[in-house]
Amino acid sequence: MTNELRNPAQKLWQDQPMEGITMSAEVIRKRAAKFERKIMWRNVREYVAALIAAVPLGYFLVTARDVFAQVTFGLLIAGLAWMVVQLHRKGSVRSIPTEVSTLTSLQFYRAELERQREAVNTVWSWYLAPLIPGLLVYTVWSAIRSPRPAAWVGLALMDAAIAGMFYVVWKMNVRAARCLQRMIDELKAENPH
Amino acid sequence: MTVDSTPDELYHDAARVYGAALGRLARAYEADADLCRDLLQEIHIALWRSFSTFDGRCSLRTWIYRVAHNVAASHVLRQRRTRSQALVGLEELENMPAGNNTLQAADRSHALDRLLSMIQRLKPLDRHVILSYLEGHDAAAISEITGLSLGNVAVKIHRIKNLLARQFQQGETR
Repeated sequence: MTNELRNPAQKLWQDQPMEGITMSAEVIRKRAAKFERKIMWRNVREYVAALIAAVPLGYFLVTARDVFAQVTFGLLIAGLAWMVVQLHRKGSVRSIPTEVSTLTSLQFYRAELERQREAVNTVWSWYLAPLIPGLLVYTVWSAIRSPRPAAWVGLALMDAAIAGMFYVVWKMNVRAARCLQRMIDELKAENPH
Repeated sequence: MTVDSTPDELYHDAARVYGAALGRLARAYEADADLCRDLLQEIHIALWRSFSTFDGRCSLRTWIYRVAHNVAASHVLRQRRTRSQALVGLEELENMPAGNNTLQAADRSHALDRLLSMIQRLKPLDRHVILSYLEGHDAAAISEITGLSLGNVAVKIHRIKNLLARQFQQGETR
């Protein structure tokens, strides 16, 4: 577009002082490697956080004297491991998506929205449910070990608090999924083909 | 730049020819200076990587803008979770009152800031269209890059022109 044909907004936009970056092949290779390292460290941080939570559970697993306790802590560790794997698979920390060059903006945007909706929609199955077996076994084990009403009330309160937390997390994700679905619907309505 | 060029050559030429436009694009998708630098770098890395699969089925310009906008849209969606301001569509922006802080064309810096903040409120696809329009792309090119129908792009450009005219002309006549 020649300068004469540009409207004031286009002129203002295109004439703004801007230095583009140009990197040699060598530099961009180094930057790409550095970028990958950054992503890797973010992943490592997630694993370390899970490990920190798993260490005390592992300690209890190793030192537990009865099978019930071993099963409880084993299940909790397995649930935690499942959550981390799913978190990684669903791309909470994602490198540059490979499909950026193959999809149009419309397809890409829709695919990203659907991917995020899927992640939040199924949060109960990969973020909450994996911990339930361990918590259930723990409740049963504790109730058997301390057959006193006071202990049972304590257990019930603890379970209620955990259930409350699960409910809040689930509800927040349902709301997020609804918001994402609205965005997808708007996109579909605007671009039916 | 040809399909026979190596990915490094393609990247080098793309950065030379479109470097400034990519810088403007990154600025329109990210207001924070540090995050904007990161985003621009991410776009360059994605471009450099993508050229190993460039087969010439679309023009290089289409390829470059597609990669850049998709990386930027992905960035916006990632940041959406940590930012409270809701993104709006062109039609919503068009219906909003211009307010007292209308663009003052005489003050280029303020005008640019206002234009940028307006763009940064838009949803990724509308942002893509307005940026392409501001870069001087025609409706056919915008349709090819975005995947939106030509009719839809034409409607959006009409809205953009109204919006910009309203913002600028009101500012100029004050």
